Amino acid sequence: MKLLIIEDEQGLRESIEKYFTEAGVLCESCSTLSAAIAKIAMYQYDCILLDIGLPDGEGFTLLEHLKSTGKNEGVLIISARNSLDNKVKGLNLGADDYLIKPFHLAELKARTDAIYRRKAFNTNNLLNYDLISIDLLAREVTVNTTNITLTRKEYDMLLYFIANKGKVISKNAIAEHLWGDEIDLVDSFDFIYTHIKNIRKKLMEAAQKDYIKAVYGVGYKFA
Amino acid sequence: MKLAAQYNRATLIITLVVLVLAGLVYYTAINYIVNKQLDRDLTEELTEIRDYVSTNQQLPKPLDFEGDQTTFTRTHETELETTFFDLPYHKNRGNKIEQGRAVRSMIILKGNNYVITVAQSKEASENLTQLIIGITVLLTAILLVILSLTNHYIFSGIWKPFYHILLQLKAFNVADKGNINLNATAIDEFKELNEAVTVMASRVKSDYQNLKTFTENASHEMLTPIAVITSKLDTLIQDEILKAEQFAQINDIYTATNKLSRLNQSLLLLVKIDNDLIQDDTTINLKDLILEKEHQLQELVQSKHIELTHQLEDKGITASKYLIEILINNLFNNAIKHNLVGGKLHVTLTQTALTFQNSGDGEGLNGDEIFERFKKGAHSDGTGLGLTIAKNICTQYGYSLIYFLDGQYHTFKIVF
Repeated sequence: MKLLIIEDEQGLRESIEKYFTEAGVLCESCSTLSAAIAKIAMYQYDCILLDIGLPDGEGFTLLEHLKSTGKNEGVLIISARNSLDNKVKGLNLGADDYLIKPFHLAELKARTDAIYRRKAFNTNNLLNYDLISIDLLAREVTVNTTNITLTRKEYDMLLYFIANKGKVISKNAIAEHLWGDEIDLVDSFDFIYTHIKNIRKKLMEAAQKDYIKAVYGVGYKFA
Repeated sequence: MKLAAQYNRATLIITLVVLVLAGLVYYTAINYIVNKQLDRDLTEELTEIRDYVSTNQQLPKPLDFEGDQTTFTRTHETELETTFFDLPYHKNRGNKIEQGRAVRSMIILKGNNYVITVAQSKEASENLTQLIIGITVLLTAILLVILSLTNHYIFSGIWKPFYHILLQLKAFNVADKGNINLNATAIDEFKELNEAVTVMASRVKSDYQNLKTFTENASHEMLTPIAVITSKLDTLIQDEILKAEQFAQINDIYTATNKLSRLNQSLLLLVKIDNDLIQDDTTINLKDLILEKEHQLQELVQSKHIELTHQLEDKGITASKYLIEILINNLFNNAIKHNLVGGKLHVTLTQTALTFQNSGDGEGLNGDEIFERFKKGAHSDGTGLGLTIAKNICTQYGYSLIYFLDGQYHTFKIVF
């Protein structure tokens, strides 16, 4: 996957770039609208992470530009503007998803993967990782040729883990992924533990292998 | 006391006092004039008697002469000044006593001194005085009626702009879009008042707007740094050479950052609700929404071993789905978070009300305070804005949100 990151906040841009690069994604980044338009004209990307508030204009301009030039890169808007209007505007202009700042890198990665998968759906609707094989259309999970039954949340969680394979995912990120950011998290941490334990058990029974590892109480790592 | 009543009372008292004083002055003046007139008559009479005495060298008969009563008394005094005085007057020498006026003087006849007294009835002038008093009283009555009518007119007419301003001020709300709407008036004072009120209202409004804009901007500006912190933390935990205690600290930073972020989102949301910026009303089936939320939160409920029961009727409302979801979410969140482990949560939806009842420690909360910003329990780690947001959303759609302790159940009730 080839990714273009358009974000003017240097700290954030670097973190995203590092995270995605380590996950094996080919990343390029820029901080202005004009630089972004220039890059798009020259190269083909699978996915674009687009900040709305840029120093030389609004990210919406880029969406319009993409639309007018008939490009169909997947676009994920990352914005501090949490307003319904902006969200609707962005999605109407052809963006695939809208993520509000602040967000966890794991969430960003999972959403980017989802966009990428949707774009590549025609060719492939099977997601494979090690012994795990997921039929994305039927939402069926096969591990080591055994069909395993997962609840909706467990299925979501598994996709989330695979998108962030090899990375430590914080409990905060997991809780936010499961319930959104409207819920107070502390109460939900106990639940995350049991929830993860269930997935772990189901995978272990089928694969005879432990995929999920707890990391010092801060989070979990799927590998 | 109403201004009109106060004013009426003042004018009434002043009018009465002035008229009573005027009556007294009248009475004294008329009395004085009447006495003067009578005294002149009496002097004339006295002169006539003197003339008679000097011409005829004898005293006239002490007869009533044109109602005058004249008496002569011999005296050894040699000098007596002529004096006028009031005395009771016996009409026709009978028993009827009237007010009278008399003159006393000295007359010398053949070396003898006589005191002469001439008295006259004041009856006629007394009648005049009474008539004048009567007229005064009548005038007073008429004046009072006219005054109260005038006051009535003044208060219903001239003071109208004032009452209009008052009404507008009472209805004034800083958060409202519309400006204060004042009627034009010809009276300078009210014109000034109108101007002052208009200027004040627009200033208050712009101050309020500025404050809200500031809150919004400040919250916005904070989101990007928070995003940087979060992303750096996400990167930091990838480093597996960190020690356990360092991870513990990172965990705390995560929690604090998360809280900061939620606080910001909540403040932004409050500003938006206040500004009425969220207007995507659709028809929502509240029952479906609640069931969906229950499903979404079921694991949380289970992990706390809370017994969740509901009794839901189909109820459609027209509102923003976004806001109603937040409302339901906040109330669920509240009822789960402050619930006991193994406690109960009951949701009731009828055509008129939606009620969340949860068990908790038996102590009731202050029903007014809990909806205020940043009011929260000593052990709550929430933002302290959840219920404020819920309340504001309810206010937005004209619902009322109330809290009460029903037995041992904390109850939040939305009345549609």
